[in-house]
Amino acid sequence: MRIDPVRKALYVVAVAALLGVFCSPAAAGEIRNEPIELPGLLLAQQSRESANDQLATPRFELLAQAAQAKEDEDDKKDEDADDDDEYADDDVKLISDPLIKVNNDFYILNDRLYFWVLKPVARGYGFIIPQELRAAVRNVFYNIRFPVRFINCLLQGKGQKASYEFGRFFINTTAGFLGIANVAAKYPHLQPSKEDLGQTFAVWGIGYGPYLMLPFFGPSSVRDGLGLVGDTFLDPLFWLSPDTRTSIEIRAGETVNDTSLRIGEYEALKAAALDPYVMIRNAWVQNRNKLIAE
Amino acid sequence: MNRRFTGWILILAILIVLPLQAYAATPQETVEAGVNKVLKTLSDPAFKTKPKDQKITAISTEIESVFDFEELSKRTLGREWKNFSAEQQTEFVKLFKELLQGVYADRLLAYSDQKVIYDKEIMIKEGQAEVQSYLQTSDGTKIPLFYRMTDKSGSWKVYDMVIEGVSMVKNYRTQFREILSNGSADKLLEILREKTKKS
Repeated sequence: MRIDPVRKALYVVAVAALLGVFCSPAAAGEIRNEPIELPGLLLAQQSRESANDQLATPRFELLAQAAQAKEDEDDKKDEDADDDDEYADDDVKLISDPLIKVNNDFYILNDRLYFWVLKPVARGYGFIIPQELRAAVRNVFYNIRFPVRFINCLLQGKGQKASYEFGRFFINTTAGFLGIANVAAKYPHLQPSKEDLGQTFAVWGIGYGPYLMLPFFGPSSVRDGLGLVGDTFLDPLFWLSPDTRTSIEIRAGETVNDTSLRIGEYEALKAAALDPYVMIRNAWVQNRNKLIAE
Repeated sequence: MNRRFTGWILILAILIVLPLQAYAATPQETVEAGVNKVLKTLSDPAFKTKPKDQKITAISTEIESVFDFEELSKRTLGREWKNFSAEQQTEFVKLFKELLQGVYADRLLAYSDQKVIYDKEIMIKEGQAEVQSYLQTSDGTKIPLFYRMTDKSGSWKVYDMVIEGVSMVKNYRTQFREILSNGSADKLLEILREKTKKS
């Protein structure tokens, strides 16, 4: 089955349009972090004002003492509020999740896919192929996707980072022989963090939109899901593969290879969690926020 | 007791305390010492032959000396902390500690070839610091691992770990909030009891 690039492009655009339906400006605006007024802080300020009022007319020493005690207490309240402040962005609402039911179903699907299919396959593969070779394969894939990171750096106006990306790509493609070896690892500044279209959209001021747990792809959001689709066009592997099927096969192979190098990570995270679904959602957003900020 | 006598005692006390404070370990020194101790234990041949549960107990004790689990629990529960009774708070700290020790001891046992690099320490504010370190894997990838520390207990202790931008405290907080929004503190403690029994 051969599909010409034009039809392939049309197909991807159709998926993008479907995703776009969810991405109404209202939905995107919902999760922009509004500054939240801490009720505790407000309360402390109010009672401090009343304490000051009492201090203004110090008729009895006792009253002044009481006011002082109250002020000390308020100081402590403020301190507590300050401490809370570090974590004040109400992390429960870091991302809206109106599709939680569907997302949860997909999470269960992904979880089973991992334990029943991906993990056994990756184990077997890892048993046959030595680790050095698997790491090399991962490096080659990372290197070949250089245009995705490079173009997104430029789209975000990060010229310096784009030049570092280029430096890394150049060194690893030549000295690292087509990216097999990560020679650039020796140079600390040639370790730029990953950039993708989802992050570019974020830099342009677009919010997450609702949280999405994508089957096969894992945690994402409407914005980042769209980014994922867009990044496909920046990915040389998409243009190099003769048809969609090959492209999917390459992706599957890459996933097996990557997983074989990370067995145990998901298991540990899941074992540590009380609610794995919530844990993954929150960890994904926190990590994403960091990547966007970089 | 006369005034002058008290004065002398005060001066003496200050003289004794001053040098002690000057030599108190910095946040980074505390983390480095703790991590090195764990690494030393892990590479000890006698340790390697021990059964797994004994290994976990041994590492747990070492983790405990570096962490301020009470502060960590308070921050994780946030506002909800005040809604817990004193007994509930004590039990929560105990169970949460057990859970985290088990998890991290398990992870540390899987620890293989990573190198620990200490980058810098930052004072967030008075009494709060962040030690920024990186785990470097054999292929050169660096995983940022930051320790948030407080000196509330008198010496620097860890109250949060931030791995690749993910704060452990914040992450558990969302999970606890979810449980607390549908149930009581008792319900949360019950889930924690169940969880620590398993691991």
